[in-house]
Amino acid sequence: MAFQTLDGNEAVASVAYRLSETIAIYPITPASVMGEHADDWAALKRPNLWGQVPSVVEMQSEAGAAGAVHGALQAGSLVTTFTASQGLLLMLPNLFKIAGELSPFCMHIAARSVATHALSIFCDHSDVMTARGTGFALLASGSVQEAQDLAAIGHAVTLEARVPVMHFFDGFRTSHEISKIAALSDEELQALVSHEGVEAHRARRMTPDRPVVRGTSQNPDAFFQSREATNPFYQAFPEKLESAMDRFAGVTGRRYRLFDYVGHPEAERVVILMGSGAECAHETVDWLLEQGEKVGVLKVRLFRPFATDRFLVALPDTVKSLAVMDRTKEPGAQGEPLLLEVSGALMEAWSRGERQTLPRVIGGRYGLSSREFTPAMVCAVFDELKAGAPKTRFTVGVRDDVTQLSLEVDSELDIESPETRRALFFGLGADGTVSSNKASIKILGEGTDLYAQGHFVYDSKKSGATTVSHLRFGPLPIRSSYQIRKAQFVAIHAPQFLERFDVLEHAADGATVLLNVPWSSDEAWDRLSVEVQRVLVERNARLYVIDAADVAEKAGLERRINTVMQVCFFALADILPRDEAIARIKDSIRETWGRRGPEVVRRNVEAVDSALAHLYEVPVPDKVTATRTRPPRVPEDAPDFVQKVTRLLLEGQGEKLPVSAFPPDGTWPTGTSQFEKRSIAQEIPIWESDLCVQCNFCAMICPHTAITAKVFEPEAARNGPETFETVPETHTSELEGLDYRLQVAPEDCTGCGLCVEVCPAKDRTRPKRKAINMQPLEEHRETEAENLKFFRSLPDVPRDRIPRDFKSLPLLIPLFEYSGACAGCGETPYIRLLTQLLGDRLLIANATGCSSIYGGNLPTTPYTMNADGRGPTWNNSLFEDAAELGLGMRLGLNKLVGRARQLLDGMRDRLPQGLYSGLTGPCATLDETAVAARRKAVARLRDWLAEQQGPEVQELVSLADELCPKSVWVIGGDGWAYDIGYGGLDHALASGQNLKLLVLDTEVYSNTGGQQSKATPIGAVAKFAAAGKETRKKDLGLLAMSYGHVFVAQIAMQSHSNQTTRALQEAESFDGPALIIAHSPCIAHGYDLVNSPAQQKRAVDSWAWPIYRFDPRRIDEGLSPLQLDSVRQKVPMKTYMQEEARFRMLELRDPERYEQLVAAATEAAQDQRELYKQLAGIHFEPHEHPESGSEEGESHD
Amino acid sequence: MTDLTTRWLGLELRSPLVVGAGPLTDDLGALKACVDAGAGAVVMHSLFEEQLVAEQMAAHRFIDSRINMDAEARSFFPGSEMFEMGSRSYLKRLERLRNGLDVPVIASLNGISPGGWTHHARELEDAGAQAIELNLYDLATDPGDTAATLEQRQLDVVRSVVEQVSIPVSVKLSPFYSALPAFVAGVEKAGAKGLVLFNRFYQPDIDLDQLTLSRELVLSSSAELPLRLHAVAMLFNRTKLEMAISGGIHSGDDAAKALLSGATAVQVVSALLAEGPQALARISDAMSRRLRNMGYNTLVEARGALSLANAPDSQTWERLNYARLLHGWR
Repeated sequence: MAFQTLDGNEAVASVAYRLSETIAIYPITPASVMGEHADDWAALKRPNLWGQVPSVVEMQSEAGAAGAVHGALQAGSLVTTFTASQGLLLMLPNLFKIAGELSPFCMHIAARSVATHALSIFCDHSDVMTARGTGFALLASGSVQEAQDLAAIGHAVTLEARVPVMHFFDGFRTSHEISKIAALSDEELQALVSHEGVEAHRARRMTPDRPVVRGTSQNPDAFFQSREATNPFYQAFPEKLESAMDRFAGVTGRRYRLFDYVGHPEAERVVILMGSGAECAHETVDWLLEQGEKVGVLKVRLFRPFATDRFLVALPDTVKSLAVMDRTKEPGAQGEPLLLEVSGALMEAWSRGERQTLPRVIGGRYGLSSREFTPAMVCAVFDELKAGAPKTRFTVGVRDDVTQLSLEVDSELDIESPETRRALFFGLGADGTVSSNKASIKILGEGTDLYAQGHFVYDSKKSGATTVSHLRFGPLPIRSSYQIRKAQFVAIHAPQFLERFDVLEHAADGATVLLNVPWSSDEAWDRLSVEVQRVLVERNARLYVIDAADVAEKAGLERRINTVMQVCFFALADILPRDEAIARIKDSIRETWGRRGPEVVRRNVEAVDSALAHLYEVPVPDKVTATRTRPPRVPEDAPDFVQKVTRLLLEGQGEKLPVSAFPPDGTWPTGTSQFEKRSIAQEIPIWESDLCVQCNFCAMICPHTAITAKVFEPEAARNGPETFETVPETHTSELEGLDYRLQVAPEDCTGCGLCVEVCPAKDRTRPKRKAINMQPLEEHRETEAENLKFFRSLPDVPRDRIPRDFKSLPLLIPLFEYSGACAGCGETPYIRLLTQLLGDRLLIANATGCSSIYGGNLPTTPYTMNADGRGPTWNNSLFEDAAELGLGMRLGLNKLVGRARQLLDGMRDRLPQGLYSGLTGPCATLDETAVAARRKAVARLRDWLAEQQGPEVQELVSLADELCPKSVWVIGGDGWAYDIGYGGLDHALASGQNLKLLVLDTEVYSNTGGQQSKATPIGAVAKFAAAGKETRKKDLGLLAMSYGHVFVAQIAMQSHSNQTTRALQEAESFDGPALIIAHSPCIAHGYDLVNSPAQQKRAVDSWAWPIYRFDPRRIDEGLSPLQLDSVRQKVPMKTYMQEEARFRMLELRDPERYEQLVAAATEAAQDQRELYKQLAGIHFEPHEHPESGSEEGESHD
Repeated sequence: MTDLTTRWLGLELRSPLVVGAGPLTDDLGALKACVDAGAGAVVMHSLFEEQLVAEQMAAHRFIDSRINMDAEARSFFPGSEMFEMGSRSYLKRLERLRNGLDVPVIASLNGISPGGWTHHARELEDAGAQAIELNLYDLATDPGDTAATLEQRQLDVVRSVVEQVSIPVSVKLSPFYSALPAFVAGVEKAGAKGLVLFNRFYQPDIDLDQLTLSRELVLSSSAELPLRLHAVAMLFNRTKLEMAISGGIHSGDDAAKALLSGATAVQVVSALLAEGPQALARISDAMSRRLRNMGYNTLVEARGALSLANAPDSQTWERLNYARLLHGWR
C-alpha cells in the first residue's frame, strides 16, 4: 500500500480526475484547488483510468459549470466538478435537472458557509444542506483518507445507481489539511468502477442515431407521475452504496458503512453527526470509554437518501439520550436537517412498533464558519445528555448570552495522546513558513512510519499576513480535527508577533519555544515582555533564539527564513536523527526547487548548512524580570466598540466574545483600520521637505493611503509635535497662504516603495536622495506615529478650495485607508481616489473578490469617515450581482429622493424664504460649492422642521439628507465584470440609470489565485491557461460603447493619473451609466510591483492597454464620442510582455509558442488600434433631443 | 578569387566572417539570411551567469514566495513543476539554431566566478554547440581586489569551463590588461583554443535632463578597430591561440585589415544590427574583392601579413611610433 501525505483537495481531485472524462469548474474557495490540480494534470497530459487526458474547462460561473456538466452528461461523458458555498447555490437549478434525468455523476464539495449577514470562506454545511432537496445523494467524509475513499465510492456507486452523488467534506479542515493517507492506485480504482455502469451511461447518451427528447415541458397530467417514477432508484441506492462500500473494503481493506457507529456496545448516550466533527467525537468517545463511560458516536456517511432502516440498526438499542449535531443553521426551523431526519426516523420506528421506547433527542449546532469543535465540546454535549432536563436545542463553541442556548465548555480539557507530538508555528505569509511545514510533514509522513497531520490557518490580510501552522505527528492515527491546544513546540517566525498576540497561549508545560529575533542570546531574555516571560517561567519552557533573517539574507534568500527555521525545528523537536533530518530537508529542497534552478537550490542548501551554528539556547530564569508589558492592541482612545470587540478580534480572541457583542444584522462601523497598526514594513518613506515639489504623485499612487498630503492654515499646525515639519504650499495658486505637509503612516505602510519610485524630485548634488526616501521603520516609528496623529487632527480646508486636477486631488481627504491589500496593489489607489472625489456622498456596491476582502474583511475595514461623520457606505452582496446590487441601490435611492422632494413640495408654501430653491436647484455631486450650500440648506430645513408638527414633518426629517446628491458606484474585478457578473453589468449599463461601474482589471481572478478570466490577455500564463492564453482579451469597453448611451473609459492611474482623474470626473458628471475599466497591476503578473508605473506605461505605449474616454455627450458637440488618450504605439508589444513572469514563463517553457503568441498579441493590438482610430474619427450628426427628462434620472440635478 | 575557407577552433568555416554574439542571434530568420549572405559561423548571444541567477531568484521571490500565503489562493501561477528558470530556454534556442543553420553554431557563456554555473558549459555541448565562447566580462569595483587576484579568478573560470567539455573553448577578453601577452599565455595554459578580442563594455551614458544614467545600446564604429588590430598584430606568432576580432568591423576593408593583422575569424555584430543581414553580404563582397585585388589566393597567405612579426615597418606597432607621430605633428 502506498502512503502519501497530501491534503483533502488533492486526494479527492486525484480520484475524481482519474474517473472522469470531462471536468467543468469555476474557482471558489476552498474548492478551487481541486480544479487547479485537474488543470495542472491535464496540462501535464496525465491520463485518466481509460488512458485519456480529461478535458478541463473553466466556465464563466458555477452556473455555467453546472450547465456544461449537464451537457457533457447528456453526451454520455463521465463528468465531475468541484465547488462550494455560493458556487453550489448557483448550480442548484442544473442539479435538479441532472438528478431528475437520473444521470450518473459525482461532484465534490469542500463545504463552506453560505453568505448571510457576511461572507465567510470557512466551513459549515449550510451549502450542502441547501442542496439537499435536489435529488442528489449526499455523502459525507470526515478526514482526508475518507474524502479520498468516499470520492471513489461516490463515483462507483452513481454509475450503478444512477442517482447523482454530492460528496462533501469540510472546507479548510479537510480540504486543506495535509495528512498521511493510503493512496488509491489505478488498479484499485479499476476494481471499483463498474464497466457495465459506464457502458449503460454511454448507451443513454443523446445521439441522432437513436433520437430521443429530454427536458420536455410537462403538464399536470404527467409531471407528478414522472417524479414518482424515480422512487425505485432512491430506494435501491442504500443497498447499492453498501455493495460499493463492500467492494471497496475487499479491494483496500478499509470498510465504510452508511452509518458508522463507534463506542460502547451498550451506550446510553450517543452523539450523531457528520463531517470532520465526527472524527473529533470519535477521539473523544475513545477517551471517555477509557474513563468507563457508556457513550458512543454515530457517524453519518449517507445523509440522503436517508436510510432509516440502516440507521436504526446502527444505533444501539440501549441509548437513552441522543444529541444530533448539525453544522448549519436554519433559522426558524423546528430543527436543523440532521436532527429532523433522525427524529423522524425514530418517531416512525416507534410508531410502527419497531422500537419500544424513544430516547430523549436533543439538537445542537456547532462549528459554523469553521468555529472550533473540540473534545471539550463533545464532552460538554455528553454532559448535557446526562442532565435531568437537557436543553432541547443548544449550541456549543459559542457563548450565547442572548438566547442562552450555549453549553458550558471546560476549555482546559486536553485528551490528546502524549505520544502525539504537537507543534505550532507562527509565520508571515511571505516567509515560506507554511511551505516548509508542508515539506516537513511530507518528510515525516513519507520518510518514517509516523502518522502526520498539518493544518494551516491564515488571516485575511494580503500583505503582512499571519499564518499559523498546526503540526501533529506520532505513532497513532490522528483524528484531532481541531487546532492544537497544547503544543510541545512553539516557533515564532517573526518578532512582531510577540508584541501583537499571545503566541504562547497554547504552549504546553515544558514546551520548547523557538524565536526568530534579531537579538543575541545574551540580550534575548531582557527583550521579552512580562507576558512572554511569565509563560516561559510558569510552563518551564526551554527557549531558543536564532537570527534567521540574517542567516537567510547571508545565503542570498532575502527574508525568506523558512528553511532556516525548518532545520531548527528538526534539530529541537528530536523526531529524526539530526543528520538524517538535514539530509531529508536538502532532498526536499532539491525536489521542490530543483527545476526552478540550481542557484535557488544552492542558496537554500547554504541556508540549511549555516542554520544550526546560529541557534542558541537562552536560559530561562526562575522568575519574571521584565517590567515592560505588551503594548495595548488598540489605542486607549479608540471608540468603545473598537475597545470591546475589534480589539479582541485583533488579538485572536474573538471566539471568546459572546453573542451579545455582535450586531445581529451584519452592520459594522467604518473607520476601524486606523486602529489596527500592524507595523509590517521594514522601511518607510521619510519626507525631505527641502526637495519636495508638492506634486503629490506619492500620495496618488500609495496603495495603502500610508503617505498622504494635506494643506492647512499655518496657525493650525502651530502646536504640532517638534518634528512636525511643514512648508508653505507653493505650487498651486488657489492654495496660496496655506501650509503643506507630506505625512507617512509608519505603522500602516507596507514598505512597497512605490512612492519613492514615482518621486520626481532629486537632490542635485546627490540624485540618489529624493524628496522621500526609504528609511528603517524603527528609527522613525514613534516620531512619525505622533506626527500622524497630529496630522489627522488638522482641520481640512473647504473642499471647494482644492482644484480638481490630478496634482491637487490627493490633497482631498481620503476615506479609504490602511487596507490589508498586497504591498504594491494596483487596485486600491483607484478606490482611494474615488473616496477623495466623492467619499461623503458615495454608496458602494462591491462584487466579491480582492476588493471585498481588503474592503470588508473583519476585524477592521478601510472605509472611513470625515470629521462630519460622513463617508462611503459599502455593501458586498455576491460575486455575480454587484451591478444589480448597485442598480437596486440607485433605484431605491431615487425613490427616497423623490419622496423627500414630494414632502418638501407639500411644505413649499410654509418654508422660510429662499429655502425651497436652496434645496431644489441644480446640485451636481462634483460641484463642491453647490453641495456645501445644499448641506447648509438641509441643516436649515432640519432647524425649521424641528419647530413643525405632523407626520410628514417626521418623515422629512428622516429623509432630508437625500436632498443632497449621492453617487452610486459598483466596484469589482475582471472575474466579476468579464465573466460571472457580465450579464448583470450589461443589464445595468443598458438600464440607462445613473450608475457608475468601476472594473479593477487585474486580468485574472486574483483573489482565488490567478485563474484566467476573459480579461486575460493573449500569451499570458494563468491557471486554466497553463500553456498561455490563445484568445484575445474581451474588449469590454467596446461592448459597452455599442450601446451609445454609456460613458466608457479605460484608465491606467499609475502611469497616467491625469487621464484617470479626468475620466473619473467625466464619468461622475455624466447623467447616465458609466463603465470605467482600470488597469490594475497585481502580484499575479509576476514582477516586482515597485516597477508597476513603468510597466503600466509600457502596457499603454504598446497598446496592450489603450487608454481612452468615450463620452456620448460629445456627439451633441459634433465630435466623435471616442477620444484616444494615447494614440501612437510607442513600444513593441514584446517590450511590454517580456517584463512580466506570466508571459516570460511561456517563453521559458515554449519559446516558439511564445513568439507565436507575441505575434498574435501584436496583431490584436494593431487591429484594436485601427478600429479605435477609425471610431475616434467618426462623425455623427447631433441628435434632436425632445424636451423631456426621465423621471428616475432626476436625482442628479 | 580568394579561397575564403578557414579553420577556426578546429571548425571548418567557409568564410572568416562570423555573426558575433548579440541580440540578432535570437532571430533564426535573420541568421539564415546572414548565412545565405556568406557568414561562416554564428555565435549565439551569451548565457549570462548573473542573468540566470537573477532570474531564478526573481522567480523564487515573486512566484515561489507567494505560494501558501493566503487562505484563498494557494499560489498565483499554475504548478511550478512546469516552469524552469534555468538554461533550458537557451538550450532550446541553441538546438533550434543548430537544426536551422548549416554553419557551425558557437554558444557563448558569460560569467566571472568559478562556481556552480560552469556546468552550463556541458549543457551547451550536449545541446549541440560546436564550440564555446567564454566571455570574461568583469568590472573591478572593490579596492581590495588586485589585478593578480582578478586575473587568477578569470583563469580559474577558463580552466573549469574547459574541464567541463570536449569541444573547443575560446575566450573573449576585455582590452584592459596591464600585460596582455602574459595573461593570454595563462589562457592558453588553461586549455583554451582561441581568443576573441575584444568585448565591448556595456557603457551607460549620463542623461543630463533627467539626472540619471541612461542605458542604451551604442553600436560600435570602425574607429574601435585599431585597438583590436594592434592587439592581434602584437600577439600573432606569440600565442598558439587562434584569434578573432570582434568590434569595429563595418566594411570589407575593416575585415581585410583584421585578417592581415593576424585574425583567423572576424566577428560582425553592430553592422548587422544597424543594417540587417545585408550588411554581411556587403562586407563579404568588399572583403573578397579587396583580398583578390591584393593578390591573395588563400586566407593563410593573408593572415598576419602585417602583424608585428611580419610587417615591413613593424616597429610602427610598437611604442617608438608613438613618439615619432607626436614629433611629426609639431
